[in-house]
Amino acid sequence: MKATPLTRREPNPRSRRAGVDPPVGESPVHPEPAAEEELIMHLEPDQFVAETSRPVPRAQLRRGAIVALWALRVFAIAVSLMVIYTFIDQLH
Amino acid sequence: MAATQAPSPPMLAPPAVTEEDAARSLDRSRVHSARLGGRRWSLMWLLVGPGILAMLGENDGPSMIAYASDGAQYGLGFFVPFIPLLFAMAYVCQEMCMRVGAVTHRGYGELVLQRFGSVWGWFAAGDLTLTNLVTLGAEFVSIRVGLAYFGLGSGVAVALGLTLVVFTFSGGRYWRWERIVLGMALFNGLFLVAAILVKPHAGAVLDSFDFTPLPGAPVNTLLLLIASTIGATVTPWMIFFQQGASADKGMTPRDIRHGRYDTAVGAVLASIFGIGAVVAGAALLTHGGAGIQGFAGAGFPQALRRVAGAAAGTVFALGLIEAGAVAILTISASTAYAAAECVGVTHSFNTFPRQAALFYAANFGVALTAALVILIPGAPLLSIALNANVLATVLLPVSLVFMVMLANDKGLMGAWANRRSTNVIGIAVVTFVGLCGTAYGIDSFLRAVHVAG
Repeated sequence: MKATPLTRREPNPRSRRAGVDPPVGESPVHPEPAAEEELIMHLEPDQFVAETSRPVPRAQLRRGAIVALWALRVFAIAVSLMVIYTFIDQLH
Repeated sequence: MAATQAPSPPMLAPPAVTEEDAARSLDRSRVHSARLGGRRWSLMWLLVGPGILAMLGENDGPSMIAYASDGAQYGLGFFVPFIPLLFAMAYVCQEMCMRVGAVTHRGYGELVLQRFGSVWGWFAAGDLTLTNLVTLGAEFVSIRVGLAYFGLGSGVAVALGLTLVVFTFSGGRYWRWERIVLGMALFNGLFLVAAILVKPHAGAVLDSFDFTPLPGAPVNTLLLLIASTIGATVTPWMIFFQQGASADKGMTPRDIRHGRYDTAVGAVLASIFGIGAVVAGAALLTHGGAGIQGFAGAGFPQALRRVAGAAAGTVFALGLIEAGAVAILTISASTAYAAAECVGVTHSFNTFPRQAALFYAANFGVALTAALVILIPGAPLLSIALNANVLATVLLPVSLVFMVMLANDKGLMGAWANRRSTNVIGIAVVTFVGLCGTAYGIDSFLRAVHVAG
């Protein structure tokens, strides 16, 4: 079995998830130490809620990629509007 | 794309384990045990789920009615080989979703939002919510069509769909939710039974694999049929669903091989059952099948009953109820994942509703909203159902482009990033789907304004 460290990173206190979730949602389970160890050993370190709550860093996109994404977005909205027009037209 | 890895903070004392961690760890312990014990089939059983559900969920009510309509109007010639081709393309897209979910342990919505910014994240969630609302409306309509065969009305369809959504919430475990929906999804095979009951000529089915052109269909019609069939095969909700479900299931890079099997099995089953619907519909080819309004009254099941007997009609009607019900569960789940991921709150079936209020509220709320639409007297249900596929096809390329970008992101994926060959196939699929969807949307618009057709 893959050895999994029993220590993990603290959750990012700036994470929106930490602030928005009701306390009961992130309420810790306090099992016996042996039981907690048993629980932890089956998850990979980056699989814990505390770890996945930390946002991944923002990607640095090239200007060309940003322009292409916006062009695709505008195009998708334009075609969607055509579909919505078609739908309204069918109602008549 | 220049990606940067997150700086690792110093290792501190272990934080508390949440109930979500505990539930997921329990599932993972069974996977570890099966893997250590060399129990290959047990491991496969534990790791299948998201792929089969995404693929069979897409064999939803409107899709099956669309396939049957294709068979009734054009016979087997073109669609029998075209459907497996489309599910092969769907496999390419869904394999990327599964891989990104297993490696990052995060859903599609939150990765797009965090990696590319909130504008893109909310655009993606907005697209999904819009298409899901319309599609869910169509799912309730298909349940109503199936129930109409048994003399039951819209109220029963709504009650059945919403009861199933609430029923699957109980338990606070992803595993339980997945197994219930998986068990229901296997009844998609009813369409294969319907195909057998209409007693098709085996030689004709096999001959259809030579890609016979559509009989007498102009290019414009061909384009519309191809695009609508694509819309019935690859949709934005599948992307959100499979990545979110793979992360929720607790899949890791070690499970990717089984995730691929899961996705491939789903694609094969969905192809077979989709072809079943075409073959069943083709029984009406010489009986005025082209004139059947698939979403009106009991539509296809009644027509099949007259042509192929009561058993075929009954099985087809039950298939429509199943297809609509499973799609309601998977599509509302994809909406819940997207909404909770973008807001940044708990998004897992490994929680109880009191712990993940937004997740469960979005799940039920989107189904309820769609259900209420079909209860409106005189609501344009046929038009809603037909345009749901168009809208999904038009908005799909944006979702696919971000998926390819995420799967190529070495900062996130490391050694699991796309290979060159995967990119070539993936980009070809995105381009093909994008062009067909766009052509479909523009063509429909031009027809509406009486410029074309």
